[in-house]
Amino acid sequence: MDLLSMRESYERDRIMLCFNGPISRSLIEEIGKALRNYLDTQQATPSSAMDVFAVYIEMTQNIRHYARRQGYDDRQASATVAVAQDAEGHYLVSAGNLVEEADGERLVRTIESLAALDRAELKAAYKRQLRRPRDAEGDAGAGLGLLDMARKSSHPLEASLQPLPSRQSFFSLTATI
Amino acid sequence: MLAMTTMTPDLDIPGSQSTPAIQSHWQAGRLAMQGDSYPENSYELFDQVIAWVRRFLETERRPLRLELALVYLNTSSVKAMMDIFDLLEDAHEKGRAVSVEWRYDPRNERIAELADEFREDCSYPFAIVPAAAPA
Repeated sequence: MDLLSMRESYERDRIMLCFNGPISRSLIEEIGKALRNYLDTQQATPSSAMDVFAVYIEMTQNIRHYARRQGYDDRQASATVAVAQDAEGHYLVSAGNLVEEADGERLVRTIESLAALDRAELKAAYKRQLRRPRDAEGDAGAGLGLLDMARKSSHPLEASLQPLPSRQSFFSLTATI
Repeated sequence: MLAMTTMTPDLDIPGSQSTPAIQSHWQAGRLAMQGDSYPENSYELFDQVIAWVRRFLETERRPLRLELALVYLNTSSVKAMMDIFDLLEDAHEKGRAVSVEWRYDPRNERIAELADEFREDCSYPFAIVPAAAPA
């Protein structure tokens, strides 16, 4: 294993924390705890630490919900998560996972449409989504989480979709806090 | 004559890393919650709290007071809390005395912003109170 090249890539991308593999409920909590402790030592303000944590939680829980709805096995449900800091000191929270191609395309479109909304419009959309009946949520379940992430970000969410041979795609999402 | 009241058992749920501690006091007309709330499916936890609130409001005529010291809520928990605040709003519109007091650590303004967004949809007394975090 070429740990040195992994290390160099982490350092180049200023990655503070990353994870790759099947993500369980308890793993989300444990990584979240490590993330909070790390942000604490970095003297992040309590509100930006909470925003980073919140975005991390929504991303990873969205991945878990999606994988469960699809009936994915551990390998397919595996998530790639990274938290980094850019040169201006903004925190970047990224997560990637396998999705069905059509779902991925829909997700990317949703995220691109959020980029056009200003703060007030995002808030209104969030409140509307919050008031949708519990049962009607289904597929749109991710919608509330995405709106929440968009509201906590200082830049529009960035999404990309990379096709895989399996008719599935690798979906990745980055929020800049 | 001995009147038997049908009392719903009180809740006393210990908190965990991802779930708040919850205590209900039927006699006192009080429901309290403290801590973080980010379970994957918040309704697994909050259904019983919603049921308690609903039952109290249906059974009793006395005031109901929520004492909250919630910190971080994921969107699933926000949705469940909104259901609780909506029950209070319905009761308030029917003339019932209901109130919320949400205490937060003033170093973290996100909590006050979260509480304030709930308050926007409520017409009953809803206090958001900066308070030193418990030691």
